Amino acid sequence: MVQSKASKTKALKGRNFITIFTEGDSFSRLSYLLSGLSNIKNGQVGKGLIFLMIEALYIAFMILSGAHNISKLITLGDSTQGMTFNEALGIYEVSKGDNSMLILLYGVMTLVVSFAFLAVWLFSIFSGEKARELKESGKQPKGLLEDIKSLANENIHFLLLSVPVIGLLVFTVMPLIYMILMAFTNYDQDHQPPGNLFDWVGIKNFFTLLSAGERLSATFWPVLGWTLIWGFAATFTCYFGGMILAMIINSKGIKFKKFWRTIFVITMAIPGFISLRVVSTMLGERGIFNVLLQQWGFTSSALPFLSNVTWARVSVILVNFWIGVPVTMLMVSGILLNIPGELYESARIDGAGPITMFRKITFPYMWFVTTPYLIANLISNFNNFNTIYFLTGGEPLTLDYFKGAGKTDLLVTWLYKLTKDSNDYNLAATIGIIIFVISATFTLISFSRSGAMKNEEGFQ
Amino acid sequence: MKKVVIGLNLDFHLKALIGIFASVICMFVSFVKSEYGYMNMISTCMYVLTSDGKSKAYFILLLATVLTIISAVLGVISLVKTTVPGMKIWQYVQGVNVVFWTLLLFAGKSIYEKAGLSGTFLNKNYSFGMWFGLFFAYFTLVMIMRVTQTNVGYIALTILGIIWLFPILWIVLTAFRAEQGYYVGYFIPHGFTLDNFKNLFSNQSVLPFGKWWVNTMIVAVCSCVINTLIILATSYVLSRTRFRGRKGFMNVLMIIGMFPGFMSLIAVYNILKGIGLNQSLMALIVVGAAGAAMGYHVSKGFFDTIPKAVDEAAIIDGASRFQIFTHITLPLSKSIIVYTVLGNFLGAWSDYIFPSMLFGDKQSSYTVAVGLYWLTDFKRIDTYYTQFAAGAVVVAIPIVILFIWLQRFYVEGLSGSVKG
Repeated sequence: MVQSKASKTKALKGRNFITIFTEGDSFSRLSYLLSGLSNIKNGQVGKGLIFLMIEALYIAFMILSGAHNISKLITLGDSTQGMTFNEALGIYEVSKGDNSMLILLYGVMTLVVSFAFLAVWLFSIFSGEKARELKESGKQPKGLLEDIKSLANENIHFLLLSVPVIGLLVFTVMPLIYMILMAFTNYDQDHQPPGNLFDWVGIKNFFTLLSAGERLSATFWPVLGWTLIWGFAATFTCYFGGMILAMIINSKGIKFKKFWRTIFVITMAIPGFISLRVVSTMLGERGIFNVLLQQWGFTSSALPFLSNVTWARVSVILVNFWIGVPVTMLMVSGILLNIPGELYESARIDGAGPITMFRKITFPYMWFVTTPYLIANLISNFNNFNTIYFLTGGEPLTLDYFKGAGKTDLLVTWLYKLTKDSNDYNLAATIGIIIFVISATFTLISFSRSGAMKNEEGFQ
Repeated sequence: MKKVVIGLNLDFHLKALIGIFASVICMFVSFVKSEYGYMNMISTCMYVLTSDGKSKAYFILLLATVLTIISAVLGVISLVKTTVPGMKIWQYVQGVNVVFWTLLLFAGKSIYEKAGLSGTFLNKNYSFGMWFGLFFAYFTLVMIMRVTQTNVGYIALTILGIIWLFPILWIVLTAFRAEQGYYVGYFIPHGFTLDNFKNLFSNQSVLPFGKWWVNTMIVAVCSCVINTLIILATSYVLSRTRFRGRKGFMNVLMIIGMFPGFMSLIAVYNILKGIGLNQSLMALIVVGAAGAAMGYHVSKGFFDTIPKAVDEAAIIDGASRFQIFTHITLPLSKSIIVYTVLGNFLGAWSDYIFPSMLFGDKQSSYTVAVGLYWLTDFKRIDTYYTQFAAGAVVVAIPIVILFIWLQRFYVEGLSGSVKG
């Protein structure tokens, strides 16, 4: 029974990539070399010609520049820009050397184009095979016009996804591959094209960043540590703060709930860079907080809100609390209303106080529903560029760290500084990959958690 | 014998009375450390009243004293004749009393220094009379609220609300401040003016703020239209249709999303340079649109909740997938459309990293985010602080109104993402 079903699916599936070649006729085989031949033979002339044209274009591109781009990728250029003596004129002139950065960029571009072509090529082979099958079984394969019409129907994903996919390929995937490759080069301050070339260095960057003893790793590990502390502190303070605030606003007997909610939502609605810059100026040594605290007699000298390491770190977490609590409050409000009221009713009859009810009903329910959100939030807090950059800019600076990095810098803000201020692109790229690994780890944890949840029968 | 009054929970009546009794005692113990040694609240009050130098705020001390006494009298009355209105009045009086006790914490310095009680006063010079008095004032209020069965959450909400609005109030006041400069030694401006706003938009101004605002508006409108279309199209396809490579596509998007977004900006910048788009607003719109598909999660989660049967019925009636999308799915998804539009519109206003990298020092192309950040640079902050505040208010007000108006959709979108 099982076997017959398996063979049936096999029969339905037809030939695979290899058997199309080995079992196919000469046209099928030839279409491996000349895309679309099988389509043309089997009555899809328009489609076949398009495949053929794409192949011709690709080959032309490869001959004109693509092959050159790829071959250059191996060395990343070898002739440095410099002064050469022009014997005819008797003067020194600037000779145009290779530009490693452009070589890498064009190389990646060629690779992406090649992969895109590979996809079209595979598609054309299967499309030709499908046309042959249809023809053999006596049906007429679809014409080009019908294919275009099907874009609005069963093939709508081609129509609607084409723009996003092209956009992603050009402006996200290609740059990303470029940057990932950069982590394996020495494209730093001392190797800036066009004056200098940079070259492949393997995984040396990871070693210098991670191995103890070097100045760089003496910066990396503390920054990573603070990133993790910050991530957990920022996420959980806002989570519990928002939950408590939502419970107060939604509790019985509070009138004008909408008014209270609006007060807190205002901070959330103001664009982050504005509220953060404002608070940052308020926290300065001569800022209004220090002025008022001295006027009110809380302190006799200015407090180092943003200039002392510990103060700055606590300030950053508190300001993030100010911004983050309303977000959680709004989200949690909806969920709170979903908790079955009978649970509280029966708990009250059993004599449970408000704290017990929170511990035994509200919190477990929330925790259950919001775990995936919490982990997503944790990851986004590890990468919370705005709060740190607008509030402290990573300061206070310290001499213990690699140039530019400060005591409140997260990995992302450090990455940004390395890119923008000191042009150490290889280090920035390496840090980017490490951030990816951290995010991926937490996402996997999140997935295994939600997998476990699916097996449970909901909140008990 | 236990008294019962409908509408009151008299279990807490005794605690409220103990609280107010303790408050009264606190008035007669050491209150503040002055140059003449420790003084209690009553004698401090007398001293301030009779001294020559009176701070504007001395009424706070006076009212805190008087209101505590009144509150104690009301407490005694409530013991003799327990009624709902009586309790309510006591509650309000005690509420005002708590406000003044709290203010005393902030006004103490100016009151005592002006009166000559203390040369330099710091709040740590307050003695236990003050701290216990403050505590029992709140304690009494909480107990009275328990008696009248009023939610105690109001106290927390009021305090939190003030903290939350404080920075916003400050920036609004600064925007209207007549005195220029970053550093001022007071909270409420001495003079109010609209000049900061006028300067911001005037043609003579060095700051092209008007241009920044228009730039940002153009980018925001264009990208919220284009990005919304892309996001909705992507999430519709991923939610409502099944095709080979769908899961793979979603996984690829997820993996891309785990890299820090601006890591590859330098490469994007080079590509833009290659196609001649660098330093233009067009670049912002194009790059924003190119990455828009990554934000499909929330709307996909929403589309997932629309029953499949609706689509199937339409297919039987001969509708194409595209017609289903435009005629059935979209009209059913008003809240998620508003959410997406709002999110993208706001995103354009707060986007800082990419524009700052793209425009460098070409000020005429700045968006407000880059421009306002540039204004708060330490070299410029003293000159432009009030104008920065005005700019912040100009940018924030429309967004806040939009946000509060469309809050409902935002919440629906947000909780949609949690359910998914």
